[in-house]
Amino acid sequence: MDYQQLLLALLPDLLVVIALFIALGVDYSRLRGSALAKRYQVACQISAAGLIAGLAVLLLQIAGTMPLMKSTADGQLVLNTGTLTLKALLYAMGLGVLPLAKRDPITPQVSEYFALLLLATLGMGFVVTSRNLLGAFVALELVSLSLYAMTVLNQAKRASAEAALKYLTFGAVSSGFLLFGLSYLYGATGKLDLTQMTGLQHSPMLVLAYLLIFVGLGFKLALAPFHLWAPDVYQNAPTPVAGWIGSGSKIAAAALLLALLQPVFDAPKLKAALIPALAALAVLSMVVGNLGALRQTNLKRLLAYSAIANAGYLLVGVVAFSAAGNASVIFYIVVYSLASLGAFGVVAVLTDKLGREAEISDFNGCWNTSPGLAVAFLVFLLSMAGIPPLAGFLGKFYLFFAAIEAVPEAATWVDGFYWLVAFALIMSVVSLYYYLRVLKAFLVVPADNGAAIAPSKIGWATGITLCSLALAVMALGLWPEPFLGLLKN
Amino acid sequence: MTALLTLILSFIGALVCGLMPAGAHRQIRWVALAFATAGLGVSAVCYANYSGGEFADLVEADWIPSLGIGFATGYDGISLPLLLVTGLVAVCGVLFSWTLESRANQFYAFYFALIGGVYGVFLSLDLFLLFVFYEIAVVPKYFLIAIWGGARRQFAAMKLVLYSFGGSALVLLGMLAVFFLAQDANGEALKTFNLLALQQAQIPAAAQQWLFPLIFVGFAIMGGMWPFHTWAPTGHVAAPTAASMLLAGVVMKLGAYGCLRVAVGLLPAGAQAWASWVAVVAVINIVYGALVALKQDDFKYVIGYSSVSHMGFVLLGIATLNLTGLTGAVLQMFSHGVIGALLFALVGTVIYSRTKTRMLDELHRLIDHMPGIAWVFVAAGLASMGLPGFSGFVSELFVLLGAWGSLSGWIVGGAGLGILLTFGYTLVKIHEAFFRERKRPDASQAKTAYPPMTLPEKTGVALLLGAALLIGLCPWLLTDKISPSLKLMLERLAN
Repeated sequence: MDYQQLLLALLPDLLVVIALFIALGVDYSRLRGSALAKRYQVACQISAAGLIAGLAVLLLQIAGTMPLMKSTADGQLVLNTGTLTLKALLYAMGLGVLPLAKRDPITPQVSEYFALLLLATLGMGFVVTSRNLLGAFVALELVSLSLYAMTVLNQAKRASAEAALKYLTFGAVSSGFLLFGLSYLYGATGKLDLTQMTGLQHSPMLVLAYLLIFVGLGFKLALAPFHLWAPDVYQNAPTPVAGWIGSGSKIAAAALLLALLQPVFDAPKLKAALIPALAALAVLSMVVGNLGALRQTNLKRLLAYSAIANAGYLLVGVVAFSAAGNASVIFYIVVYSLASLGAFGVVAVLTDKLGREAEISDFNGCWNTSPGLAVAFLVFLLSMAGIPPLAGFLGKFYLFFAAIEAVPEAATWVDGFYWLVAFALIMSVVSLYYYLRVLKAFLVVPADNGAAIAPSKIGWATGITLCSLALAVMALGLWPEPFLGLLKN
Repeated sequence: MTALLTLILSFIGALVCGLMPAGAHRQIRWVALAFATAGLGVSAVCYANYSGGEFADLVEADWIPSLGIGFATGYDGISLPLLLVTGLVAVCGVLFSWTLESRANQFYAFYFALIGGVYGVFLSLDLFLLFVFYEIAVVPKYFLIAIWGGARRQFAAMKLVLYSFGGSALVLLGMLAVFFLAQDANGEALKTFNLLALQQAQIPAAAQQWLFPLIFVGFAIMGGMWPFHTWAPTGHVAAPTAASMLLAGVVMKLGAYGCLRVAVGLLPAGAQAWASWVAVVAVINIVYGALVALKQDDFKYVIGYSSVSHMGFVLLGIATLNLTGLTGAVLQMFSHGVIGALLFALVGTVIYSRTKTRMLDELHRLIDHMPGIAWVFVAAGLASMGLPGFSGFVSELFVLLGAWGSLSGWIVGGAGLGILLTFGYTLVKIHEAFFRERKRPDASQAKTAYPPMTLPEKTGVALLLGAALLIGLCPWLLTDKISPSLKLMLERLAN
């Protein structure tokens, strides 16, 4: 193995790790005893510098100006335009979380907060670039462990601790399932490298392996019936952390699911055995998520149910088992994550002085006090609801397109995936009800008692983050072709 | 490119109005009027330049080639009257909202977003693009009704949007099926959303049998088809005047246009098979809408149900599948567009702003208090009844003649009954509102005359009533443009 090559390939990650240690070191030495605001500022700046440097190198790698190896032994790293784009996207989104995290000094463990954020981002980057069973699993655990710890950072809140404990126990069990499934997969194929697994034969052991994998990843994606942690965690985790759970970790998990299913593509019998399971998960998640969201009064909890529903839509693209299906899934999860992070960003900005978890009615009258944020929220939520010309619509459309394309001979509505698409469409009509209910608070009704919630101070970094997220959601809806082109590779 | 200006101007108008300060409602309404008039002007230019039956002003470009999606716009004689009515209603909507002050900037932002979407639907020659614009028109309706509406506005807005969205879900599914099932003459899959290409394509007849009801019903929900019409009266009633004018005048036409252009235009075999069912539902629409209108106490509900009834004629015209009936359907879309908008403007703004009530049993001989307005309303009511000389007469006549040619006598008889009922409820309700003595005249009701119509109101009434009268007297102004396009369409369907 050429270590110089490896060093170049991992340079972005290395830069982030260096930033992580600097942030920890500075916070523990020079800034000891400084004001909390100052420590947050410095830690945020160092982390941002690390991510920006990493991002810059990643962009050089994508542009091809940097000599780069394609992959390492056993598929530990597979570096192509597609995986590197995803990694860059995750770094950029992680960068967007930083100013949100800086706004609300929830914990005195400042550098740990940012170090965990960086670790989670690093882990996500590894998950999307790894095609090795062990490598991907370890990376996914890095993500999960960082997220568990971040959920409980606000030690003043009991509910936070409870949610984190729930997250940890559920997560640990699901990781067990995932590892079990991966070991069966290894046992059946004798390979760790997913790119080398070809010619899979249908066998009960493989079916079992994949079912276990679905349980494990179903938890990370918040698919019903493995979703029970999500509402509590979304509601009680610090809002920026909930945003990162609802966006970055979803991209990583979805990418891993696609990578793990790649060997099934040319095994028709195995595929036929797995499709009912995936379709059932999809239907169940759409039902649980959409119907559950109808009755929520807490905004973050509602977003959790919407995440469950969206994970269900996602599987509609997965059952296609085609290149278009994979591209559609990645496109959808990216678009969803951008909107989700944006929505959590708006909530974070509006509620960091509220002192409790916001009810939907707390946002009454936002159109008057903070019209910009209300419009941004409109963009994010309508994108999640799948209203054109926003990217969420195109994402859903692409999923359905791919699912129907997968069975080209289908000519009646009971053939192929027409029924699944029809079901998803009905469910997205339902979803519009609760999205509009939230938007009603933001844009329609006047504030109760005349006092609408108002942000403390948006700040330029948060402003840029929210603006670029909203612009990205619009741009990917109006002009998706370049991004789709990148994903096709 | 000319026609595209309509929607570009509308979206720019939405942006400009949205960015103006909320307090500047006086300036905003002039800006809004300018943008709406510009849209109408562009439509008029399109009208003047159009001849023959082919699509004109074609703009085609790649948009998302990896999904077979292109950007294609243009118009023909079918979309032309609808462009005109959109422009006309948009201008009059601004005129009848002249006194609006609260959140005026946001109002016109949503208003123009809706109008831009509507123009977009009528201009799209790509199924995906059409669907995008169709959906763009949905969301602003929610906010227009929920923010500026009257009683029960939240409920009505939500109901309307969920019905619209439900309809579009059906359309989206059908649209995907059309994409994958359409074949060229050699049996190769076409995989395109381009309407011009799809019109030449073959879709297996068996698939058309289930695709036609799917797409037709999906669009017809927005067209107010029974039994999915219930969003229309509640939505119309709760909406602010400009929005109910747009809803009745234009948005319901989106649905009917989709039925004609997409469901009938792409699925002729399905249309043939289902035509008699469509006709039955259309007659139910006509008769049921009229009967329910007869029972209403709220003036706006009367107009709301009369819209449902009149849209039945559009559906009936589509069900005939012959040149006369289809011409009648398109004419009726135009005709009801102007007359429906006029009635909503009169009831929602002109009368309501003076009497502060729309309940018919609280109105007491309005003819004494507002004679000018009353006579204008009588004229509008006559137009709505389909009196000769007004556009409604011509269009309903075309529809009935078409139905006579291709549908069973029962259907024609039912539609005739509907016309009689229309006469009935229009006269009864005009009587109740303007000429009836109330048993106990309410003391609060003004004894003195109400103020006469303001200049913007007069202009709006003149524009809409004038349009109805003009087309009623000179129907060839529109039929000369409509018929050639429909003839081409029917020729394509026959192949």
